[in-house]
Amino acid sequence: MEITLKFYRFSPGNGSKGDFQEYPVEIDESATVLDALMQVKEDQDSTIAFRGSCRTGFCGDCTMRISRRNRMACSTTVGAAQNEGTITVEPVRLITTTKDMMYDLDTWVYDKYKAVEPWIETDQKSPDKEHVVSNKVVQDLRKVMSCTMCWLCDEGCSTMVVDRKFVGPLALTKAYRSVFDPRDNRTEARLKNLSEKNGMWDCCHCYEASEHCPKGIDPTERIFALRNKAIKANAGIPTVRNHYRSFAKSVKSHGWLDEARLAIETEGLTNIKGQLKQVPLAIKAFRKGKRPLPYFLHEKREGRDRIKRIFEKWEENE
Amino acid sequence: MAYAFFPGCVSKGGCPELYPAAKIVADKLNIELVELRDVGCSGAGVLSQEVSDPVNARTLAKVEKMGMTMMTICSTCQGTFTQANHRLQSDPEYRDRINQEYLASEGLRYDGTVDIKHFLWILDEEYGLDNLKDLVVHPLEGLKVAPFYGCYLRRPPELMVPKGFEGRKTVLEKTIETLGGEVVNTSGKGKCCGFPILSSSEDNSLAMCGDHTLEAKDKGANCMVTPCPLCHLELDGKQEDAARHKKQDIDLPILHLPQMVGLALGFSPRDMGLHKHLVSTEEIVNILEGVRA
Ligand code: SF4
Ligand code: SF4
Ligand code: FES
Repeated sequence: MEITLKFYRFSPGNGSKGDFQEYPVEIDESATVLDALMQVKEDQDSTIAFRGSCRTGFCGDCTMRISRRNRMACSTTVGAAQNEGTITVEPVRLITTTKDMMYDLDTWVYDKYKAVEPWIETDQKSPDKEHVVSNKVVQDLRKVMSCTMCWLCDEGCSTMVVDRKFVGPLALTKAYRSVFDPRDNRTEARLKNLSEKNGMWDCCHCYEASEHCPKGIDPTERIFALRNKAIKANAGIPTVRNHYRSFAKSVKSHGWLDEARLAIETEGLTNIKGQLKQVPLAIKAFRKGKRPLPYFLHEKREGRDRIKRIFEKWEENE
Repeated sequence: MAYAFFPGCVSKGGCPELYPAAKIVADKLNIELVELRDVGCSGAGVLSQEVSDPVNARTLAKVEKMGMTMMTICSTCQGTFTQANHRLQSDPEYRDRINQEYLASEGLRYDGTVDIKHFLWILDEEYGLDNLKDLVVHPLEGLKVAPFYGCYLRRPPELMVPKGFEGRKTVLEKTIETLGGEVVNTSGKGKCCGFPILSSSEDNSLAMCGDHTLEAKDKGANCMVTPCPLCHLELDGKQEDAARHKKQDIDLPILHLPQMVGLALGFSPRDMGLHKHLVSTEEIVNILEGVRA
């Protein structure tokens, strides 16, 4: 079929902001967008710059915004991408480029990746016997290891939109791989590191990352798992730890959530500054008749003893 | 029509205007709500699954006995329950273990047959938006409404918007139109409101709240509507802080879904508890009264 490929051109240093250049292409509709780009580079204009190597969705190199959707150029057919005979190819939006479609990977991928220390550390220099890892664990880790670092999860991330310094779901998925590998013995230090500023507690668990991951890795669930582990290991940041604890305590004792107490306990009872921060909103809400009732004024729920028992049982099982 | 009704904590706590509005509206629609009292909080994705799954299995076991679909009025309750139900339904061994360890002592067991639906989905999929339209006495003419879903009503998509239910992606827009309002689309309508990171990362949270409300305002919206009371806590409750953060006035009223339905069905703004919001709802009251006069 005949298509018009609108390709984003950008050269640093020439002062321009970048613009589209059009190339007519004759290509089969079952070919991929990456094929079309290579055809243009070979036959028409060798100066266009883009990435792509494996051509099978394996290397994560060819992430682009194709006809206004973020996807892999090698896994998207021309037929599916074209819109009335036109395909636009431009960079995804949250990452900066060094030329055309060449991303600044150091800043956006590798630095964040390195920050989570993506390796395994053990005390033993040379193990005296094989370290057997169960099949179940290996299966889980293999899933995570299939991450191609395509950046689609970071690109779709809600937090990244408002804060590019956020470490992001890609790096956190890599962190999961180290934290949950039973051979690694730096769990606590890792969880502490991940709890630093711009770390895993900035994730708003919106499931965008999971929706965007082409490998079905479910980065959001991986982040949940990391955070739950941190809560258990007492490694999270204080307000969050208090928040989780208070939430659990409230549901455990009354069957449901006591929001007034949650707000107070989250800041920490001895954190005067944090407590004062709550006051203006509380006063305003109170005036509007909105202040949540403290738990002892809530109607007593019949099942709360039963729910308490579930919590106790869970704590026993821990 | 009758449903086992799970009101959630927030509709009686942080957003006490939501519970009565939902009850009044359901009553008007002849939807009978059998409220679940003897049950626990869904865990809202905050509690570890290890304890929230048993608590939620207990709730579902009770609903199963009633032989009804369970209705929620909160995107977060809905998401948490759908996910828990999926784990319990797809893994009989896991379900058995929870039944034995946690529910048997109370003479309960869950067999995995319960369906759970948000009020928004029920309106479209079971009640029918055409039937709703027949009851509209005060169309929301002149009201420009920005829909805001809340993450958990849309994601993960395989669970929340499965095959055959694709209409769920646009049901809020369709509901606004059914009631006579004009839809104002924003890029953030399916994104996170910012509430979950309020305690860990306040600046980012306020930036999200500010971005969503300002975009809606820039596009001409008079208000925003959400099926999630946690989004309401952020978009209404934290809007003033977000305005300070963004150094711009916002003043965008945020409606709960049942309030918007109720207004079109003829209930007064007071009946619907609009005066309890932190952001003044005066502007929309004036618009609606202008039309009604
Ligand atoms: S779940 Fe967390 S990391 Fe993933 S997209 Fe949402 S905010 Fe970003
Ligand atoms: S987790 Fe998925 S979306 Fe994110 S970089 Fe890896 S493969 Fe891509
Ligand atoms: S070229 Fe390797 S993933 Fe597309």
